[in-house]
Amino acid sequence: MLPKVLALVSIGRHPQSGRERRAEQDGRAVEMGLCLQERQLMHLSVAHAGNADSSVLRQYAGMGLSKLSVLAQQANEDVLSPLIDYVEAQQASMVLMGVRSEMGQSSGMLPYLLAERLGWPLLPRVAEIQSIEEGVAQVLLALPRGQRRLVSVALPFVATLDNAAKAPRQTAFGPGQRADIEVINTTSIADEVAAQWQFTPAKPRPKRMKVVKAKTAADRFKAATAKPVGGGGKVLKNETVEEKAQAIFDFLLEEKVIR
Amino acid sequence: MIFDWLIPSLIATLLVLAAIGALRRVNFWRAGQAEKVDMWAGLLAMPKRYLHDLHHVVERDKYMSRTHVATGGGFVLAMVLVILVHLFDIQSRILAWMLLAALGMMFCGALFVFKRRLNPPSRLSKGPWMRLPKSLLTFAITFFVLTLPAAGILPESLSLSNIGLTLVSLVLALLVLLSLGEMLFGMTWGGPMKHAFAGALHLAFHRRPERFGGGRSTGLKPANLGGESHGVAKPEDFKWNQLLGFDACVQCGRCEAMCPAFAAGQPLNPKKLIQDMVVGLAGGTDEKYAGSPYPNVPVGKASGSPQEIITEGLVSADTLWSCTTCRACVEECPMMIEHVDAIVDMRRFLTLEKGDTPNKGAEVLENIIATDNPNGYAPGSRTHWAADQNLAVMKDVKKAEVLFWVSDGAFDMRSQRILRAFVKLLKAANVNVAILGDEERDSGDVARRLGDDATFQSLAKRNLATLAQYKFSTLVTTDPHAFHCLKNEYADFDQAGALKDVEVLHHTTFLNRLIEQGMLQVDRFKGGKVTYHDPCYLGRYNGEYDSPRALLSSLGIEVAEMERSGYRSRCCGGGGGAPITDIPGERRIADMRMEDVAATGAELVAVGCQQCTAMLEGVVEPRPQVRDIAEIMAEHLVEQLVEHTVEGAA
Amino acid sequence: MTEHEDILRRDPRAEWIARNRLHPLHQAMTQVSAVVRGPSGLIRKNPHQVGFIGPNGIKRIDRLAGNGQTATGAKRRSSAAQEVTLPLHQVVEPNAYIIVVPDMAGGRLTAQDKDILGLAHELAKQRKALNADENLAVVAVCFGESKEAQFDEAGVDRLIHLLSAEYEGFAPEKRLQALLQIESIYQPKHWLFPDSVHGGTDLALRLAVKLDERPAAQAWQVSIDTTTCRAASGSQDIQRETPRILMILEECGQAIDETRHEVLPLALEVESSVEVRLEDKGLIAVDPNAVPLAEAEFILSAGNGIHNWQQFHDCAALLGATEGASRVAVDDGYMPRMRQVGASGTWVTARVYVAVGISGAIQHMQGIGQCDKIVAINTDAGCDMVKRADLAVIADSEEVLAVLCRLAQQHTGKTLEQTETTSEVSHVA
Repeated sequence: MLPKVLALVSIGRHPQSGRERRAEQDGRAVEMGLCLQERQLMHLSVAHAGNADSSVLRQYAGMGLSKLSVLAQQANEDVLSPLIDYVEAQQASMVLMGVRSEMGQSSGMLPYLLAERLGWPLLPRVAEIQSIEEGVAQVLLALPRGQRRLVSVALPFVATLDNAAKAPRQTAFGPGQRADIEVINTTSIADEVAAQWQFTPAKPRPKRMKVVKAKTAADRFKAATAKPVGGGGKVLKNETVEEKAQAIFDFLLEEKVIR
Repeated sequence: MIFDWLIPSLIATLLVLAAIGALRRVNFWRAGQAEKVDMWAGLLAMPKRYLHDLHHVVERDKYMSRTHVATGGGFVLAMVLVILVHLFDIQSRILAWMLLAALGMMFCGALFVFKRRLNPPSRLSKGPWMRLPKSLLTFAITFFVLTLPAAGILPESLSLSNIGLTLVSLVLALLVLLSLGEMLFGMTWGGPMKHAFAGALHLAFHRRPERFGGGRSTGLKPANLGGESHGVAKPEDFKWNQLLGFDACVQCGRCEAMCPAFAAGQPLNPKKLIQDMVVGLAGGTDEKYAGSPYPNVPVGKASGSPQEIITEGLVSADTLWSCTTCRACVEECPMMIEHVDAIVDMRRFLTLEKGDTPNKGAEVLENIIATDNPNGYAPGSRTHWAADQNLAVMKDVKKAEVLFWVSDGAFDMRSQRILRAFVKLLKAANVNVAILGDEERDSGDVARRLGDDATFQSLAKRNLATLAQYKFSTLVTTDPHAFHCLKNEYADFDQAGALKDVEVLHHTTFLNRLIEQGMLQVDRFKGGKVTYHDPCYLGRYNGEYDSPRALLSSLGIEVAEMERSGYRSRCCGGGGGAPITDIPGERRIADMRMEDVAATGAELVAVGCQQCTAMLEGVVEPRPQVRDIAEIMAEHLVEQLVEHTVEGAA
Repeated sequence: MTEHEDILRRDPRAEWIARNRLHPLHQAMTQVSAVVRGPSGLIRKNPHQVGFIGPNGIKRIDRLAGNGQTATGAKRRSSAAQEVTLPLHQVVEPNAYIIVVPDMAGGRLTAQDKDILGLAHELAKQRKALNADENLAVVAVCFGESKEAQFDEAGVDRLIHLLSAEYEGFAPEKRLQALLQIESIYQPKHWLFPDSVHGGTDLALRLAVKLDERPAAQAWQVSIDTTTCRAASGSQDIQRETPRILMILEECGQAIDETRHEVLPLALEVESSVEVRLEDKGLIAVDPNAVPLAEAEFILSAGNGIHNWQQFHDCAALLGATEGASRVAVDDGYMPRMRQVGASGTWVTARVYVAVGISGAIQHMQGIGQCDKIVAINTDAGCDMVKRADLAVIADSEEVLAVLCRLAQQHTGKTLEQTETTSEVSHVA
């Protein structure tokens, strides 16, 4: 029996149209699960806590899932305890999900709460699972600028997926439509704390201006109207090739991209 | 004499074998899916379809059309008479003379076939096709000799010795066996003559009967959504008459000569594709295929059967994704085979069932689903291009004479220049025009050609629902792809009749009418040589070759035509999602098309499509300039408000 | 500078010239006084006195009006500005704390960290206004080795510096344990974290779960009673009471720039170690070409002007740059489609972008819009890429790349073969 990986998916939001879609990182969680399954390391199941009628679930299923479980929940309900029950019932030994949901509070708390309540370690921003041998996984964490850190951790654990993880495969309409969407009824617990918060459409954030603390009005005026320095770069035309190359090389050294 | 029974029994045996073969072949086709066809009407219409429509296509090559009339006509007539004279032994001098005449005609035709095969062009298949002229000649000569006695030219009994007579009889019998074997047995057991048998039935049961009698049927058929599978996975998933159509192929290779992907060295050859479909429907391998291969793909490795998945061994997916759906092959096919239908059917399986659209395909489809445009722009920014255009929006005015369908060019800065030029012309002509604004969505063209019919149908239905809210008599668009969808493909989903009484026009057609009615005045074009590139979706898909040319001539331009123009125009490489799937080849199609342009010596190429503009402008400079006709017109527009100054200037 | 610099000195000669209208220098000397205060107190301008007669007998007007760098007064003023030492902000015997846990990416305070320190002081000021007895100190918690020299100017009143090696690298469990210890000792009023991919978010959430708090994530407007957070991928705002734990977005506070702070160490004894379940095996040397183009920091990009492709690939390997390409190079089949930079390819964010033989089609320039520094190597001095570049070299690309390859080899002391073998996955810890 292979150990089980559970990918938790949520309904995403397209940044341009605001329409529902597969959430970017949750899609990557399913993709990682499918890859682990194809490598015969784990067995994947996928669950969603929320509305079972969303067409986005069919898009997740279209990645090649025969079954998708839905813990029926309303939008303002706390999904934590039904999820914990579900993870325990499934006897999963790895839970994958996105860093933050694209709808709702987007606090990113869920994976941490799950890990805490299950007593499992949590890996943030995973890019790749390199191997799982004898219950110990070698995991690559994503760092900015494409850098990676190797971490080894024993199963079971919770992991959140970074955008650097393998992009989710294309969803196919046919299998998505035919997949079995299993609805599990759960007891609902309303989130009373969040109910007191005010949700409003996002106001545009003010762009930070370059604040000039000048003593005189003339100095402030000059700072506001002055052209940014270095509008035209340096152009090397008549130097020898050696000099030109040296100039580029020095520039790269100065910018610290060559170490 | 051995004659008396040997020849008739040979003919009878071969006829029986042919009949058995025919039944076997029919069973192959019946493995396909059901499709409603009016059998009797088709059969009755078949001779006319053959003599008129098919001949019309063959006629483009005069040499071949005459050769085929002589050979084919001679053979059909001769075969009927052979059965009457030699099988049923009807003693009639008139019949015998008729048979001799038919055989003579066939002989002449066959000689030309033979001549053609002495040094055949590369597009023709070799192999068994090389022996066909010899079989034809043998058939003509043998039966000519056999009929001489019946015609009374030779006496019934020759004064030869018995042995000599037997020898002659045996030789003749052998020749009869060889030639009739090719003509009858080969016809139904997969020889080159199969084309006559399958071709005749294909014409009778064609899936697009509208194409005959000068009609046009180019819209794709809607996919059935929601079943156990979508699209064509295995040969048996094709409709039965599609399978029949594949069998009709004569391997003349005209499609191959016209295919832009083949010329660019991408792994597609329409002829090979159809032959692979034949391999699939009958089972086996492509070892015997004797024509040009898919570029850079060796022949002999492909195998399939009606129950095996096509893309797993028979045809590679790259082959299917190389197609630009330009329809040059379909236009050129003398047997009226529908290559593009088959390719899109198979793509539907790859996209809808496998989720395997290559390269940017998946991303584009996802964008279309989430934002209603292929590049994922905010739907609310669709009308930004028209901020300074003061255009009426349907939501406000509810009705207008003309609805301008802007298409996704609204998001592209280059295409916006075309849109603005067209709006300038509309305003100059005082046309009562409105746009849908942000209510417009992608027409679904790209989704459909990439095989995602679910998304196409969803877009079509939503667009139609929007259109149904407003009143307009004409719909104009600058995008031939949207034009084709709206005009030819939306009808399948238009239950509410949103486009029922609406005339859907391409902007060149519409502008030409304005010019003809004197609503627009344009100056003479003062520039160098100009050529015109026919967009596939305007020309071959919708038969509009004249309006763009009329517009150019209204500017005083004499179009320096390219060698490939009109219905033989070469694709720019931008159709069918080809730039998205981006299958590597040896060259780029757009570069080849630009060479065509450069060969005319033109400094400017006029286009009627934003996609063509984008593709041709993507060719590295120096190259001729690329302009949409609307842009050229707008540059030369004579503003009518200042009539007196125009007089003064003149 | 001497301390007499600020004393105004009289110039009797100048005064005399100013009085004497017939003096040849009178006009030049008095032009500043074209603006005078009239008897009624209104500002008056004498248009005839504006400007002076230049050497060619043409009237010249200097619109810098005394602000020019050559103006005599300016020198004195600028030298005075350099001398300022910022006032020291002191917190004596603090009885309340706001704790900031900066990312310290690369061992230094990031711009976001500094903004958050500024925000912490803003909160402290607001609390002080409500309750004058509260003596609040802003504490920074710093893990591991630090190269930061200017904690004082960034607004750190107290510093908890945990130097032990066990906090280095990826050690969320250890760090969390330390934070919990701080919590129990100092009971801070607020915990401020940067909401960032450098680990701030991760640590904040771990702490919030342990303390059973509902933290504010992606907070961007914070006062002592209400906080506004972004939610639903930036499409919504949540307004809520300000919690104890906050994750702050970029540019949401004003970094300190007018005061210095004490940076007094706060002691912290971290006892019993926790069970470490996440074992850090160190950073992985990443093949620059395996870095996604959009994320890459240093891109060497090839266009139509490249003829020797092997040399280009070698050069990229030697310099340790990620390879990019223009559309034409991709169309011609020299580079894979995934390497295409531009509007129809990848939008890149590199810090340094070296464009070799790319003249800069508009779509390409769009794609590199977010790059910091551009270096162009091109034969056409008039092309758009050269105009945009911070450093442009007009030369044949092959020759320049050849020299660059040699320089890179000399610099690293490596040959190409060695770089290739080391670019295999190896551990750099």
